[in-house]
Parts: sequence; structure tokens; C-alpha cells
Amino acid sequence: MKPMEQLTESITSEPSQLGSAPVDHSQRPVTAPTRRSAPGDKQPLRDFRTPPAPPPPPHLDDYQSVIGQANLDALRFLARDLKGKTVKMVNSTAVGGGVAEMLNRLVPLLTELEVATHWDVITGGNDFFEVTKAFHNALQGNDYQLTKHAQEIFLMYNEQNRQRMQFPEDMVVIHDPQPAALVRARRDTSSHWVWRCHIDLSHPHPQVWDFLRTFVEQFDAAIFSSQSFSRQLPILQYLFYPCIDPLSEKNKELDDSTIQAVCDEFKIDRSRPIVTQVSRFDRAKDPVGVIQAYKLAKKYVDCQLVMAGGGATDDPEGAAVLQEVKVAADNDPDIIILDLPPWCALEINALQRASTLVVQKSIKEGFGLTVTEALWKGKPTIAGAVGGIPNQIIHKLTGVLVHSVEGCGYQIRYLLTHPDFARRLGENGREHVKENFLMTTNVKRWLLLFRILSGNQTVSLP
Amino acid sequence: MTTAQITEPQPQTARKPFYFNTSEHLLRISREKATTLAELLEALRRCPSDSVFQHTFRTLQEHHFIRQGFSNDFAHWALSKCNEPALGERLAGVDVREFTAIEDLRGHLVSILESYVLQNPTAAARPAQEPFYFCAADIVVLPTDFIPDTLAGFVDGLKRVSLHSIHHHFIEARLRLKLMSNDFSQWLLEEMSLPDAARSVNRIDIYTATMENVRQQIIRIVERALR
Repeated sequence: MKPMEQLTESITSEPSQLGSAPVDHSQRPVTAPTRRSAPGDKQPLRDFRTPPAPPPPPHLDDYQSVIGQANLDALRFLARDLKGKTVKMVNSTAVGGGVAEMLNRLVPLLTELEVATHWDVITGGNDFFEVTKAFHNALQGNDYQLTKHAQEIFLMYNEQNRQRMQFPEDMVVIHDPQPAALVRARRDTSSHWVWRCHIDLSHPHPQVWDFLRTFVEQFDAAIFSSQSFSRQLPILQYLFYPCIDPLSEKNKELDDSTIQAVCDEFKIDRSRPIVTQVSRFDRAKDPVGVIQAYKLAKKYVDCQLVMAGGGATDDPEGAAVLQEVKVAADNDPDIIILDLPPWCALEINALQRASTLVVQKSIKEGFGLTVTEALWKGKPTIAGAVGGIPNQIIHKLTGVLVHSVEGCGYQIRYLLTHPDFARRLGENGREHVKENFLMTTNVKRWLLLFRILSGNQTVSLP
Repeated sequence: MTTAQITEPQPQTARKPFYFNTSEHLLRISREKATTLAELLEALRRCPSDSVFQHTFRTLQEHHFIRQGFSNDFAHWALSKCNEPALGERLAGVDVREFTAIEDLRGHLVSILESYVLQNPTAAARPAQEPFYFCAADIVVLPTDFIPDTLAGFVDGLKRVSLHSIHHHFIEARLRLKLMSNDFSQWLLEEMSLPDAARSVNRIDIYTATMENVRQQIIRIVERALR
């Protein structure tokens, strides 16, 4: 085994380098989307089979047009008292996954605010990541037999990382269960340790949670993504909603010609209503239920259904679900099924913006960031009332919540025939995201937390 | 230079400028949780006062963009998760601006719930679709760059501060002031001797307007006073 100095991957907080953090797509075969092509097609925007080079991360001032100068000023005021403080973020992967994506944006912004932030990634062998993947699933409610051997592997790799990593920072933030045992490196109370849990702990496997809990309780505070994902703990618990970056490829503003080009590429008719679900081909997202709901609505209103997703090329279950979706679509020319590779953020953005309605009919969900993306684009959104979705969709105010195929079909009909109500939902949804689910709000929450942990005064109720 | 220019009246200057501040909040997840209306009542009786503040005053800031149909988290839960529209309406009818102390507000909410639970014991024991999770907030008050001492400067500040600042001065202020008023009205009255404008600002209905609408209404009132 390599010495841990080599195993521990350390990532600079320099924005320019973080922005170009490598994205390894080499393991993922690309399958062309299921779409029809015709002679004389317009040239696509770019070849979506090839991952584009990641753009440099935005700077704080770039967000001024999104959140306004007053909110930017508030971030700077909050950061002022933290100058000279140091922060370390630790997670288990530098690329891929929502946590790494979020840290890729968060760390440069904190650094720009002169809160020196260092990002470290723990390493381990395949045996470690097999154990932590099993822990991850068990903590979200799956069956699992926790063995002494699995515990030893978990502790051994955490111990190796602990011995090789330094923790001189004022604040240490450990993301998710994989590196949780690093808290044993804590020597005194001069530094503040926070556990950021990105997963749903509402129904954890009892044995695995009991094992993990012994470490979690050694932190000063834990952070959850939804009230319903949390546990009773003897430490402070905070609520940090997941967030989207309004300047990312997936969420930035697009001009109409770009949206049109993507629709042309996928043979989507923008002169007719478009209902879209963006999701992996996964049964938890109920894609077949979406097609059934569309068919119920189609009896009364004209529309097309776009099912844009991925996960069918590298996941046998995803391929099986895609097949079920095709069977359910039954060659309906108005159902457009797109199996897109993961780097098609721009195309997803354009599809969401082209949509009249967005559906996320999940029957099991984490926080549901595809809902956040749709709301941010001002789209009237119909979604299953599961996971973190009710945090985002306040029924009939920022979107509509549904519990069945029939309910989803009815809401598609209703919103397509009541455009003023649909528009109001979309406007409220966008404001809800602007207030609660943007990257800049996430930066603000971290600054607030660091201030509170550092002993900066908060205000008591009068 | 003409005489008219020389004698142009100078704008009235306040003895004390208006300090535009803003407040930011970090949500804490509290220990209390309710799965029925009866449990909500019990938890509401014993929860810390900052939880009552969070689910009434503070939630208005989180949902400042909603013009109609949202009042406080208790009302929303009673309606959407317990399917009790009559209770939802009664709770939604509670105007936080009629309270200058959180304990008075708590007492009023408890009395509404108590009477409903007594009259509807079956509904009180029925499990809700989703639990009510009590939260609270750690609050940090921040200064802004806007410290006007004239009405024109005051309007400029109103236009440029965040909606959090408007909420801080217009809604949360009454807990600080212990008055049925707000920071804007107090300044207009005490520093600018504009009792009509102060009264008009204080009468703006926050439950039928977004916070941006509230800001615009305040600006219009003050601009009228400027003329």
C-alpha cells in the first residue's frame, strides 16, 4: 500500500485550479440518445457525446446580477469578522457526485471572501469504499448485516487518513459518513468540528447508525438537508438546504437560439406544450408513472412528453428501466426519450427552459435538486410529495404536490389549461429558490455557522 | 446665480439618521416534533420562544414572495398536512403585527389550538401526513452602508437594501420596540415629523402583499411626503 501522503489527495482552494478540477468521464460509455433524426437537420450546438472542458468557476461579483448588491454586501459583512480564520472541508471524492460539485463552487467563494478554506479528500482501498457504500445504503434504510470486519475496515482507513492529515484549522467540516471517524483527531475544544450529513437519516439501519453515532456525537454540530432527514442528537443540529449554482451550465440563463437549437436537435416542437421529467432511469423516479399520467392528460390536452435522463448505459437496472419506459411509450411520436450522458448540463438546461411544465413524479427522493432547477427556471412544477421535495414545493403556492398517477395526470391538465395560475406558481417557485436554495445562500449559511461557532454574537429575542 | 436658486429650501435633516440594518438567520432543528394536532399543542406550550418566533415572524421572511395564502407554519401544517381547514384559517388569521412579545403570541396560538382540540378530539389524535418539525434560528444583525438623514436618502436606502432589511425594520421591529409600530414609522414620526406618513406605512397589510410590494408601498408613501 502507498504511504498515506500519496493516498491523501489535497486540493488547493485556488479558484482557477478548482474550476478545472478533472472530471473523469472515461469510465462511462456514451450512448447516443434515443431520438429521431432527419435529413437536413440543423447542426447541433456541439457534440454532446464528448465531455466539454469545465468552465472556470464564477467569482462573487458574477452573482450580483442574480442576487443583487445588497445580498452580496451581506456576505462580505458576514465574512469580515472571519478574516484570519481557517477552515478545512473533508469528503471522500474530488470528482463526481453532488458533494464534490458543491465544494468545487463553495471553496473558491469562501476563499474569495478571505475565509481561508482547504479541501481534503480521504482515500482508501476498494474494500473501504465497498463498506462505506453499504453503510450509505443502510443508513438510508436498506437491509444490511453489519460485521466486525466491516467496522474494522472503516476504522482502519479512517485511522490511516487521520494519521496523515493535519487539522490545524479553526473549523473542520466532515462531509458524510465515510470520514466521520476523523473526529478522533480532535484534541481539544479550540477547534470546531461539524458533521455535514448529505443523506437521509430518517430511517437508518439501527446497527449502522449506532456505530456511526458514537463519532457523530463527538462533533460540535451536525447539519442536515431537511428536518425530516435528521436524528435526535445531543449536539446542535442545523438545517442547510442543498443548493444549485445559478451560474452553472445547468442553470445559467440561455438565449432563445440555444434553446431552439437543442429542441431542434431532439425534434421537440416548441409550438406545442412540452411536459418534461429530467431524471435517471430509475424506478424511484417512477418514469412509467409519468407516461401514464401524460396519457391521462393527453385525452384532454395536446402536449408532448420529454423524458430526459441517464444511467441506462452503465447501470443494468437503468437499462432495464429504460426498456420499460420504451414499452410504456408504445411508439407514441409525442414521447421523446433521451438517454443523455452526464455532461449534457447545457442540453438539460435548455430542455427545462423549453418546457411548459416540469414533472418530478418521484416515489422516493433525496432532496430532489432537479425540482430546484425547474423552479429556478420559473417553471410550474408537479412533483411527488417525498424526500426533500415538500421543502421546495409548497402545494399550490410554489408548485403542486401529487401522490398518484391520477393526481399527476390531473395537474398536468389543469396547469396546461390555466396558464395564469401556472405562471404564478413558476414565479413563486423561482423566488423560493432565490431565497433558500442558491449557492450564495449556502455560502451565507456557512459564514453564519462559522461566526456562531467562533463566538461572534448572535441576537437574542427581545 | 439667481435669487431663486439661493433661497431654495434645504431638505429637512434628521437629528438621528436612520441606520438601515439587516438580519440573517441560521436555522436550527429543535427537539420538538409533532405528529398530531394534540402533539402540536403540547410542543407549542413547551418549545423555546425562538421556535415560536421562527414559525411565525421568521417564516414570513422565508416566504416573502407569497402574496396570498401563507401566514405562518402552524396554519400551513394544519391545513396541508392535517386537512383541518377551519383550524388552518383560524391560525392563519393570527397577525404577528398585533404582538409585541413572543409569549403573548404563543398564548394566543395555544388558545386557538386548545379550543379546537377540545372540540375535535378525533381530529386532534389523527396522525398528520407529515410531522411538524420545530425549528429555531440563530440571528445575526448586520449593518448596511445606508445611513440617511434626509427623506431623499431614506427613499434611496429603501430602494437599495435587501428584503431582509425591510423585514427586519418593518416586521421584526415591533418585538424590539415593544410598540405596535415599526422602525420606519417611528423614524418618520420622531425625526421627520410626518405623522400621516408614519401611520400610512404602519397600515400596510403584509398578508396581502409580497415583501417587495411592501417595499414599493413604503417608497410611494415617503415619496408623496417628499412632494
